[in-house]
This record gives sequence, C-alpha cells and structure tokens, in this order.
Amino acid sequence: MLPAMPPRRPVLDPAAAYPKTAGLREALDAGDWPRCREVLDAAEPVERTELTMIAFSEPGLKTFLRGVLTGDPGDGAAGALLGQHLIGAAWRTRPTARPVRAGPDRPAAFVEGLEAAERVLVDAAARSPYDPAIWTARLRTAHDLRLAPSEARRRYDRLAGIDPHHLPGQWQFLQQLCPEPGGDWEPAHTFARETAAAASPGSFHPVLVAEAHLGHWREEHRRSAAAGRRYLTADPVRAELNEAADRSVRHPAFRRTHGWVRVTSTFAMAFALLDDRPAAASLFTALGDLGSDRPWDHLGDPASVIVKYRKRTGGGT
Amino acid sequence: MRRLEVDGIPAVLAPVSGPAHAGLVFRVGTADEPLARRGITRLAARLVTDGGGGSVGPEHTYFHVRGSAAEIVAYLAGVCEALRNPPMDRLAAVRDPARTERDPLPMWRHGARGPGVASYPEWGLPGLGDDELRKWIARYFTRENAALWLAGEEVPEGLALDLPTGERQSAPAVGTTLPVTPAWFAGAAADVVAWDTVVRRGPHAAVFANVLERRMLHEMSDVTRRVHTEYAIRSDGTARIVATADALPEKADAALGGLIDVLAGLRAGRVAPDEVAAVVKLTCAGLRESESRGARLPGQAFNLLAGREVQTLEEALAEVRAVTVTDVVVVAAEAYDAGLLMTPPGGTAGWAGYTAAPAMSPAVLPGRTHHGRGNRRLRLISGDDGVSVAGPDVVASVRWDSCAALLAWPDGARHLIGDDAVVARIEPTLFRGADRVVREADARVPQRLRIEMPPRDRDRIPRPEPARGSTGGWWPLVAAVVFGVLAAFFAGGGVWLLGQLLTGGGGPGSSTAENALVVASALLFGGFFGRLAVTRFRERFAR
Repeated sequence: MLPAMPPRRPVLDPAAAYPKTAGLREALDAGDWPRCREVLDAAEPVERTELTMIAFSEPGLKTFLRGVLTGDPGDGAAGALLGQHLIGAAWRTRPTARPVRAGPDRPAAFVEGLEAAERVLVDAAARSPYDPAIWTARLRTAHDLRLAPSEARRRYDRLAGIDPHHLPGQWQFLQQLCPEPGGDWEPAHTFARETAAAASPGSFHPVLVAEAHLGHWREEHRRSAAAGRRYLTADPVRAELNEAADRSVRHPAFRRTHGWVRVTSTFAMAFALLDDRPAAASLFTALGDLGSDRPWDHLGDPASVIVKYRKRTGGGT
Repeated sequence: MRRLEVDGIPAVLAPVSGPAHAGLVFRVGTADEPLARRGITRLAARLVTDGGGGSVGPEHTYFHVRGSAAEIVAYLAGVCEALRNPPMDRLAAVRDPARTERDPLPMWRHGARGPGVASYPEWGLPGLGDDELRKWIARYFTRENAALWLAGEEVPEGLALDLPTGERQSAPAVGTTLPVTPAWFAGAAADVVAWDTVVRRGPHAAVFANVLERRMLHEMSDVTRRVHTEYAIRSDGTARIVATADALPEKADAALGGLIDVLAGLRAGRVAPDEVAAVVKLTCAGLRESESRGARLPGQAFNLLAGREVQTLEEALAEVRAVTVTDVVVVAAEAYDAGLLMTPPGGTAGWAGYTAAPAMSPAVLPGRTHHGRGNRRLRLISGDDGVSVAGPDVVASVRWDSCAALLAWPDGARHLIGDDAVVARIEPTLFRGADRVVREADARVPQRLRIEMPPRDRDRIPRPEPARGSTGGWWPLVAAVVFGVLAAFFAGGGVWLLGQLLTGGGGPGSSTAENALVVASALLFGGFFGRLAVTRFRERFAR
C-alpha cells in the first residue's frame, strides 16, 4: 500500500487551462496594447469575451486602458476590458467580495464605481454596437446597478441579435433571471432549458440548466440542508441534470475549447451535491488537476471544497 | 413664391395643388405669457374666432382658413374686426379648459418663464379680467406684429386686413435653469420617455432630427409603440429638437436604455453616409410635398416676422442637399451635450452620465423660522429676501424678486412659484404661526402675479405628520413629571389623613363628615393628576 499522500489541490487559475489567458495577462502587465489586440483578435468570439473578463480581477489596468481609449476611442476591445476592470474595481471597494443580492446597503463608492464602468461601456457600445464582449459586460452592469428587468432583457436581445449562442452573456443574463429569495424560479429554468435546447449537441450551453438548478438549490439549502437535498435529488431535477450532461460534457462532440473547465466543474458540483458519485467522479477525472472557482465558491474556499468532494466521490484519480 | 404686402402687412404667396388657404400670423405665443396669465393667448384666439380656435405655439399664433377666395376674405375680415373690437360679451361662452397634454420638458429647462410656461396649467384663466384680455389683444394682435401667407394663384379679391396699429413685439429671451447638461429628470407619465435639446437652427439640425427618428425606429422598435422627433425653430436662431418614445407596457426602462444608446451612438459619430443620404432624400421629398400643399408657408410667414427673407423651395432643397455626414455628427455632439432626458417615473439616468436636473433650491434664505407642527425638522422661513420651506433633504426657496406666481387658496395656503420653477408651499396647517408668513406673502407679491385658486377638498389640505423617529420634544415629559408630583402630593396626603382618622389621631375638620370629604377630594385630585401624568408620559414615549 502506498503511503497516504496529501490531496492534490486543483489549479483554479484559468491560465492553466487556456494559454491565451497567460498571454493576454502578460501583455496587459507589460502595457503592450498591440500584443493584447493580437491575442484578442486571434480568439473566437466566445473565447475573446471570456478573455476580456480577466480584466475584472487584474489590478492596476485603469490608466493603461484609459490611455488606449484616449488614443482610439473606437477600440471596442479596450472598452470591454476597461468596463470589466472597472466593474471589478467597484466590487473590490466592498468589504466582502461575494455578491450579496438583496439588501438596501449600496455603498456610494460601489455604485459610483459601477456607473463609471457603465459610462465607459455606453460609449464603447455606441462605437462598436456589434461587439458581444461589450454587451456581455453591459449585462453585468445592468444586473449590478439593479437596472430594470426590461433594460437587461433589451441588452440580452441586442447580444442575441449579434450571436444567439453567446454563452458568457447567457451566463450573465441567467444571473439576472434568478429571483430574489422567495421569487419565481421558472423564468430562469425556462431560459436555461431553451438556451440548451437551441444549442448543438456537445456544446457547453446545457451547463445553464445545471447552473439554474444550483442557484435554486442554494436558495433551498439556505432554508435547510434537508430542503436543499430534497430539491436536488427530486426525480425531475436529477433527470434534467443527466439529460443536460448527456447533451454536453458526456456527449462525444464535447470539445475542450475555452470554457470547458467551468462547464465540467459545474456539472461535477451538481452531481456531487446530489450524491451521484460515479457521475461526479468521472467528471473530476476528466478535469484532472484543473478546476474553476465558480460555482464552488458558494460552498466556501473553492480549492478545499473541490478536494473534499473529489475525495468523497472517489474521482480525480 | 412671391413676397408682397397686403394693407401694410408683409405677406408671402405661393401656388398650391390643392384647395387655396391662408393664414394670418402674429408674433405672440405661450412663451410671452406670464405664468399668472397662462392661456391668455389661447383665450384671445378663441374669443376672436367665436370659439373656433386659432393655433397657438410658443412664439406664434395664427388664424388659418381653407376655402374659396370669398370664404378666405370673409374669415380674415371677421378675425380682424374681432381683434379691433373684441366681443367681450362672448367671453363666457368661449372659455373652455385646455384639452391638449402639457409638455413637461420646457419647465425643467426654462423654469416658470418664457418657453417653460407651456408646461403649466392655465391656473389664472378663470379669474382673468376683461381689461387684461383687451390689453393683451391690443399689445400683440396688431398690424405691425402680423404677417400673412396665401396659398393660391392670386391675392383673393377684396382681401382687407383692417388691424389696429401697434408695435412689433420681439420674441422673449430664452433662459435656462439647467446648471449642467446633459441632464435628466423623472417624468410623471408611465411608459413615456422623452428627450429634448437646443441647437443652432439650420438644415443640418433638421436632417439630424430626421436621422435620430430613423435610428430610434430602427433600434427601439421592439420596446416602443411609437417614436417621434420634432424640429421646431425659434426666433433667436436656435431650434428645439424633441424626441418622444411611447414604450410598450413594462418596457419603459428598456425604451430609456434604448434612447440613451441611440443618442450615444450618434454622439460617437456612428453615422453612415448612406443613412444621411437616405434622410436627405426623404427630407427633400418632404419639402417638395410641403411646398405643393403650401405647408412651407407658415414657416415663411414666421421668417417675415423675424425680419428674415423668405426662402424658396430651390434654396431650401439646395441647403438640405449640402448637408454632409460631418455636419450631422457635429450637430449630434452639440445636441447630446445640451440634452435633457425625461426618464419614466422613479427612473434615473445618472448611470449613463446624465446629471440630475435641480428639483430644489441650493440654499435656505435668511429670516424668521416657523417650525412644523408636530415635526420640528420641518421649517418655514420668511425674511426680506423671500420664503424657504425646508425639511430633511429638501429645500424650496423663492425670492420675492424672482417669484413667477403666487397661488392663493381660500383655506389660507399660499404656494410661491419661483422663476426657476421651485415651489415653496406655505401651508398654515403644517407650520406654527404661518398666518404671519401668509400675510407677508400677500403683501410682498404684486397683485398681477397672484392666482386665486378654487377651494380645495378637505383631503387635499395637508395635515401635520409627526416626524418618524422624533421623540416629540420635552414638553410632554415635563408635564408628566409636574402632574406626577401633584398626584403624589394629593394622593399621599389623602392616604396619610385616612390613616390618621382610622387610628383616631384626628383631622383638620371638625366633624367626621368634613374629614371624610377632605380625604375623598384629596384622593380624587390625586387620581386625576395621576391620570394626566400617565397620559403625558405615554405621549412622550409611545412614538
């Protein structure tokens, strides 16, 4: 028998799975805009949007990106990056990084930060109205600024007009449809189902079905652990999760392109929570050392939680 | 198109394809009306047409007639006769409340003066005297202040315009109350989003207004029932462009977002050459069509009144054809910077970089303070400069020398409306000793600015509300302590006396009956003060 090994901690940094992330990060750190554009321009639309989202958590980009926009106000990539960066900066003004949905406490610095981001994005969308990365960021600001649902829907419709299957934006719009505690979950589930059904087999989109169920589970779980378990293990939910996984991560046409880690990781969490150990284990195995902080961060420190569940399901070996 | 004169009045004549028509224009409109006389021009126009109307705009009023030469001659002669000798006996019959919707934007941009007056109701009309109406007609509806258009082959035979003489009245100066633009305010109408701006007038601005409408149609069709823009020229060389969007139910916020994006897109210079070319073509077609109906003639008559020359169709077409993408982009930036946005009720546009239009005064004027009844955080201040009403987070100050109107109710309430549209509400039911401020306002504000309002229903008269979280002051507590001491004194005395009597110690009275009476009254007083003390104590701490 082998001596007990300390459990392997998953690598959550997206750069581990997607080399372009590291390339963009280096170019941003170096203040090398032509190289940033090179990375972004070479990316597929969804990949490009995902790449712009790294500016959310990269510190100290404001001066550089504002400078780029001053030189060329029409540079949509710079607009999307600066928008994402300012949204992240607004969130960092809050003592807790985890979004608290409800509550009237809206610190002025937070709202002002989001408005600064939105103003950059209004102008960016005005100059590059067909850039999905900008509309994805504007879905985020609509949600965080608590703009009316009809405005968020308009933004989503604009995005869907450009790319009807733009997963990063759909992911964001799903957040918008998730209700306040006690609200109606049906719009969120319906959107997830319809979006999944519209996508081709083997695509990432059925992950939205799992995401909606995980959101719904969280609300039930907050009420009581038993209620959460009851929700997730109910036959229709279990069946829907399996069907979604069959159309996505477990489909032969599933490809490991940009975003596959979070998709696989989300399904792994759903199956782990409903205690379908074989299903979760095979997904952990597929992930290997890779992992994503979302949606695991809802359960605590993502790396530790992943280790715990991976061990419990016996996966990742 | 011919330029001529009829009875000393500048006129313009052009042939039309349809029936002949004519219009007599005067340089007077709602922007000339003081707030206390709002609606007087409309009333004058109704009076001289026996209720038929006339059309009143911000700067011009015209009497329009369509028909045979004889009908045109008879109608205009009738109008002129009535303007010379207004049929005051018909006044009661032609009074009628305004039915058109009021445009709220001018008030937010211009305050309660000039063009801003158009946003207000016609409060002063019911109390308007014959004399004032006569003076108004004599001042504005004169030969020197008129122009004429004729749509037809020739000047109708026998046309005579026998108007009284007077003076040319130049258009009122246009002021603004917006310290910062682009600005926004929340409207009152659900499902309506609107925007207006003021730019230099000219073909480029007219083409921009059409590009804007086209863009709104294209980008907002999924959230609106109807979109519309309007381009209106003003005598001072500027033009007002208004964009209105009627949103689908529940889509008002999306219409706001859509309009913000359309305006930002145009400001960013995202204007395609073929878009401008298409709009120029349509605008030219519209001009030709207007020319054939004689619909360009009113504008030409306005030009004559402003001392400008008439513009032929060819000149107008050439100007529009010369408009380039760059021209439109320049107007778009100018228009955006001067914009005023009306959001749906409860909405904001701060997130998109618009500044809230001021809805209150920057400071409280110095003077004597009257506190609110039951709410000391509410203050009414009256002084030599004017009146302020202040509460938590709100200040409404109106200076005596910039008061646009004083609304006076029989129940004693007075509302002072400042030139900047701020309203200071003097409500005697809400403030201690407010009668004194009412008397001061009555004495300070000139009679001509005063509007007598009809009695209000009881439920429209505000009632004092205790401030939330207020402790109600110290008086109830002091009263409770005093009453408590009195209660203890009397009740204690009564009990002591009773004890004395029962133990045979003797009392102040000479007989048992007298002593019993003293004990009973002492206990009664004690109980009475005890109850008062408890009531006051509850009042103090119940809130």
